[in-house]
Amino acid sequence: MRIVWAPEKEALATHFVLNVIINCTTIMALHRLHFGLRQTVTQTRSLHGSGLIQQLGSAAVEPEPSVRPKHAIFRTAEGDPAQHSEQHLGQYYTLPPATIRSLFPQGLPDRFQKQVKTFNECSMMVREPALEIISLLKRADYSKPPIHYMLYGEKGTGKSLSLCHALQYCFSQGWLILCVPDAHLLVKNCREILPSAFNSSRYDQPMLAVQWLRNFRTTNEHFLSQIKTTRRYVWTKRESTEEGRPLKEIVEHGLARAKSSSDVVGALLRELRLQVGRPLEGGQEPFRLAVAVDGVNSLWGRTTLTKERKIEMAPEELTLVYNLRKMLKQDWSGGAIITAVSQTGALFKPNFAYLPHELLGEEGFVSLEPFLPVPVPVYSDKEFESCYQYYIDRNWLQHEQSRTEDGKKELIFLSDRNPSVLERVCASL
Amino acid sequence: MMAASTASTAISSLCRKGCYLRGFQIPNDVYTRVAYSRSMSINNNTKRGFPRRGNTGSSKSVLRESGEPRALKMAVDQDWTSVYPTAAPFKSGSVPLSVRMGYPMKRGVPPDRKGNLELIKIPNFLHLTPAAIKKHCEALKPFCTEWPQALDSDARCEELFPIRLQTRAFLFAGMSQRQPQARVVRLTVKLSSVNLDDHARKKLIKLAGVRYDKETDTLTLNADRCPLRKQNTDYAMYLLTVLYHESWKVEVWEQEKTRADMEEYSWEDSLSQRNLLDSLRRMQWAGPGEGGAGGGAGDRAELLASPEVQAYGESISRIKNKGESEGTVLQYREAVKRLLNL
Repeated sequence: MRIVWAPEKEALATHFVLNVIINCTTIMALHRLHFGLRQTVTQTRSLHGSGLIQQLGSAAVEPEPSVRPKHAIFRTAEGDPAQHSEQHLGQYYTLPPATIRSLFPQGLPDRFQKQVKTFNECSMMVREPALEIISLLKRADYSKPPIHYMLYGEKGTGKSLSLCHALQYCFSQGWLILCVPDAHLLVKNCREILPSAFNSSRYDQPMLAVQWLRNFRTTNEHFLSQIKTTRRYVWTKRESTEEGRPLKEIVEHGLARAKSSSDVVGALLRELRLQVGRPLEGGQEPFRLAVAVDGVNSLWGRTTLTKERKIEMAPEELTLVYNLRKMLKQDWSGGAIITAVSQTGALFKPNFAYLPHELLGEEGFVSLEPFLPVPVPVYSDKEFESCYQYYIDRNWLQHEQSRTEDGKKELIFLSDRNPSVLERVCASL
Repeated sequence: MMAASTASTAISSLCRKGCYLRGFQIPNDVYTRVAYSRSMSINNNTKRGFPRRGNTGSSKSVLRESGEPRALKMAVDQDWTSVYPTAAPFKSGSVPLSVRMGYPMKRGVPPDRKGNLELIKIPNFLHLTPAAIKKHCEALKPFCTEWPQALDSDARCEELFPIRLQTRAFLFAGMSQRQPQARVVRLTVKLSSVNLDDHARKKLIKLAGVRYDKETDTLTLNADRCPLRKQNTDYAMYLLTVLYHESWKVEVWEQEKTRADMEEYSWEDSLSQRNLLDSLRRMQWAGPGEGGAGGGAGDRAELLASPEVQAYGESISRIKNKGESEGTVLQYREAVKRLLNL
């Protein structure tokens, strides 16, 4: 076996050490099984440490070959999500960096982002839930109210990535993307909370709103100048936006004046709701709107934010949450709503809760229905094999035992074919 | 013998007081002394004069030799019930079974039955062999009446005698034949056999609380507050009567029962139903087929009667009432798919 040293792998040498330690302490029950693999990982660590300078030297001589075998069985050259079908199931496709920059300016899910950096490419597996949503999106009637697709599944099965895949389809079709990458962040650990100037019973989150507006502007740059406001908005006594101005103006205003940014988000969502599906000025085709919310269950339930005198704040008292909830009501037409419920990051939810009703609660469930639950299962045998081959191809599995049949069986046993657990287990091998 | 036994009780009561002062030495001493005196009296009976000290030969001849164990002489087809006619401790000589019991010393086997105290300690059922029970039944038969022809199955019994009273009788050899537990009466009845309408049934279940078992649909009333069994039986019947009449009453405050207080989720007239109808109307209104906004009562009834909406309501009720699981969510998914024509 020829080991090509990759600079990003070396950067993770410390990461390795951490993972090994975590494995030692936390997975005590699996200790005996894991032992054979762990032993040699410790050895490679010492190798990495001592031969650092020598390897750095060799890296300059032998850079990573830029041309990779694209015909591998676990890969597909089809980069367009619209062309993905059953024959691509379990295969990896690569997203171009430009798409990632414009579609996901806030970044992809955390662990996946790290993997993208490590592998120096953004490859996602074509999986059943995303394919189902894409095929339904293709067939849907956009003169009717939007259909709500809700991804659910156990922890680490890939709900967020399926959401990203479906979202990329919408993006490639030229839809307007309204994406909230992690709704859990709205209801916890918020730095600044101000009473709203528009409605005194609500509270603004200026920093979150500015951040969101910036990402929204990056994703939907060309739409903002095409869509015009339908009424006059008064932000403060002195500042206002007239009717018939492009949306870009109010977004810019929100970015410049953080204090009114939450209200700007509200106004923006209102304009989009009103104008979606209608022909734009200048005879252009009506635009389509994709609303994507990851961790939608946080919009209902409890928060950890407090008002004055330490009274707990309800989610609907937050301007952003209030406006987002309106967006999820199916009273507009010409688009789709794609959401995911997740326990990871959710507040006051039991560890193993993953079904829609138990995460959303009674109130949330009633306000979202009717929605189409889309289950996200763990890897099937084919998908596991594909992922395993991909990790081997990326030199991510370097331990000699991990490439044997027994090593594969052990990986299946340790991860139970859960994508996230598999990634964590393989991190130290 | 009598004296010995009284002495032993006296000493044992003494021992209870003094054991923590002087240890277990006292009773042992006294017991051996008593035993010694007894053996002396035997000697006196059999041989005149004082026994000679230190000579064991003479006393050996007077002790009765233990013969061959009875178990060896037993015939294979003998009547076992006459060997053990009543409950009795284990007699190693008369049980022809090679049983062993006790802690095995030095990697050996557990001790044999002869002279084995462990086997005497444990209760045995040697007097309750199938043959003995058969004999008992034969003896009791003349005193029994014939079983009623009509009660040929359990279901029939339950139908004709829905109320079941359970009591326990205790039989034991003691100073008093009274047993406090014998007064307890347990009344069980299936609610399906009680004449109740929907409201009364729900109210009775609320009133009964933990006494009602949902799985078996059984109401269980335990009566133990009175000193006699008869009184407790009457009290249990009284409780049942009061429960029955109380649950048929409709109080004024029962009108204030809201949806949240309901025992079961019902989809009819729920917020979920209203939401669904709203979104269906929006869908129709947006669609090319229907012209104006319907919104009438007839439209509502028509929508509600459609099988897709019915199935949707059922799936929602299932999630709420049976609890959410992988299966119920998938059923909901199918219902939504049919509803939205996906």
